[in-house]
Amino acid sequence: MQTSNNYNRSRYRLGIWFTAPAVIVLLIVLAYPIIASLVLSFLKVRFGGDGLTFAWHGVTNYTDLFTNQLFREALFRSVYFTVVEVAAVIFLALSVALMLNHPLGRSAFYRVVLLVPWALSPVANAVLWKWIYNANYGILNQSLIGLGLIKENIIWLGTPWLALNMILIADVWKAVPFIALLMLAGLQNIPSYLYKAARLDGANAWQQFVHVTLPGLKTTLVISVVLQSIWALKVFDLIYVLTKGSPADSTVLLNYLSWRETFSNLDVGYGAAIANVLFILMFMLALVYIRALRPRQTAQRDG
Amino acid sequence: MPRYLTQFFIRFGLIAFTLLSLGPVVWSVVTSLLPLSALTSKPPDLNPLNITLENYSLVLDSSRGLFSGLVNSLIIATFTAAVGLVIGSMAAYALARLNMPSSNKILMMILATQMFPGIVIAIPLFLVMSRTRLVDTHFGLIVVYLSFILPIVIWILKGFFESVPMELERAAAVDGASPIQTFRYIVLPISLPPLFATGVFAFIEAWNEFFFAIILTRINVKTASIAIAEFSGQYQTLYGQMLASAVLASIPVVALAIIFRRFILEGFAEGAIKA
Repeated sequence: MQTSNNYNRSRYRLGIWFTAPAVIVLLIVLAYPIIASLVLSFLKVRFGGDGLTFAWHGVTNYTDLFTNQLFREALFRSVYFTVVEVAAVIFLALSVALMLNHPLGRSAFYRVVLLVPWALSPVANAVLWKWIYNANYGILNQSLIGLGLIKENIIWLGTPWLALNMILIADVWKAVPFIALLMLAGLQNIPSYLYKAARLDGANAWQQFVHVTLPGLKTTLVISVVLQSIWALKVFDLIYVLTKGSPADSTVLLNYLSWRETFSNLDVGYGAAIANVLFILMFMLALVYIRALRPRQTAQRDG
Repeated sequence: MPRYLTQFFIRFGLIAFTLLSLGPVVWSVVTSLLPLSALTSKPPDLNPLNITLENYSLVLDSSRGLFSGLVNSLIIATFTAAVGLVIGSMAAYALARLNMPSSNKILMMILATQMFPGIVIAIPLFLVMSRTRLVDTHFGLIVVYLSFILPIVIWILKGFFESVPMELERAAAVDGASPIQTFRYIVLPISLPPLFATGVFAFIEAWNEFFFAIILTRINVKTASIAIAEFSGQYQTLYGQMLASAVLASIPVVALAIIFRRFILEGFAEGAIKA
């Protein structure tokens, strides 16, 4: 058994060498900045002629945050955006996945249709919607006027509450395909004998959906909600291209606000404090994701 | 609900899904092929005789920055995918097969890194990289992209390596192959299709990235995404050109996604909902 022991030891050593490069990259590019970001949020950082100066600022960045009207509004809007976006994406993605799982929707053509919006570059997506929403020549206004639904052009991106919701629609359009892919994979993992058994018991289509499909999709649904919430909280490209936060800061969400405070207003410590609030929100969601994955894993190991 | 009614609703839903998904894309392509005068007439003049490639030749003019943006994106995405595959496949194999202690905990941590908001790491990274003069370099952006490509590559490839039959590796060991030889000559060759497709996925992600690109580039390494975003701000009334640049930057990634659709549908979707 000596050789087998040697072999195992050399496998173990190789394992260390093999994991090291990835771990080092992740430590430098992720772990260090996360700690640094925490430290920065307690500092006042100034850009001077001779570079950066740092001064201890205590929790002032955070107390400023919660007394700041714009931050509270951005927080509220981010939560609104995330809740509505996730609800819409989950509903639409589930509908699409159910249709594509039906014998009528199984052709490769629909899979390609699903992949096109997903693969599109996010900035290209933003430009596309900027053109569709264009107040003077955009196809949206032209079609609505053509159909007689509106009389005058609507300035979609120039009206506070409306602009946010138009961004939301563009984001939903881009996000549905990937979540639909996840759900399609989830649907295909539900064993067909469960449906057969349900039919033998006299269950109709709706009862099959409620008692077989939904329970079978539970993990997939949890994961989809978590992933999509994280992505919705991160939305940036669309705001940057479509409105830059206008009109009157009504489309400023947390991620955009943090970027603007840091890189436009050069208030690095304050920007980092906002980023950390966002980080805490996402971290809680990440814990849910990991919990959702765990039970199945132990089940597999035991089996 | 009677059967024919269900069928009717599903057919109707599939048509609506197709129109809503492809409509905006088709409209962008049409727009990019029309002259400005056709787009600004009401209703838009869709006469096919107007079709022109003028918008494309104009946006590819070197003064517009799109061409160099496409080149930069190509360099950055290719290197990110290549380095990500090398480092990622090694780590994935170690976690899958080399008896790493608590390999599941490592995997969970790697996965959790996927969920940080970019802005948290962007601020300190920007400060460090300005001091080390890595801002506005290909290298700087590639390293940052690796950090969010690696977790996905490791996650997906670990699944594939676990499906390689253990007997194959045992047979290699009996024949006297060292673990590294087993990896190099047995496991890697039979994993070429997933390796290649994972690389394609990494390429698409790096090509499309915008948030770090806007923070970590200035003049020299502006990517295609930056070029389009700037274009849509500066020349926002040149609708045809704006859309032509967006279409140009999307063609490579959409083509890759369609060519590798089977892998994306089966590999990634399955991977994300299974541990």
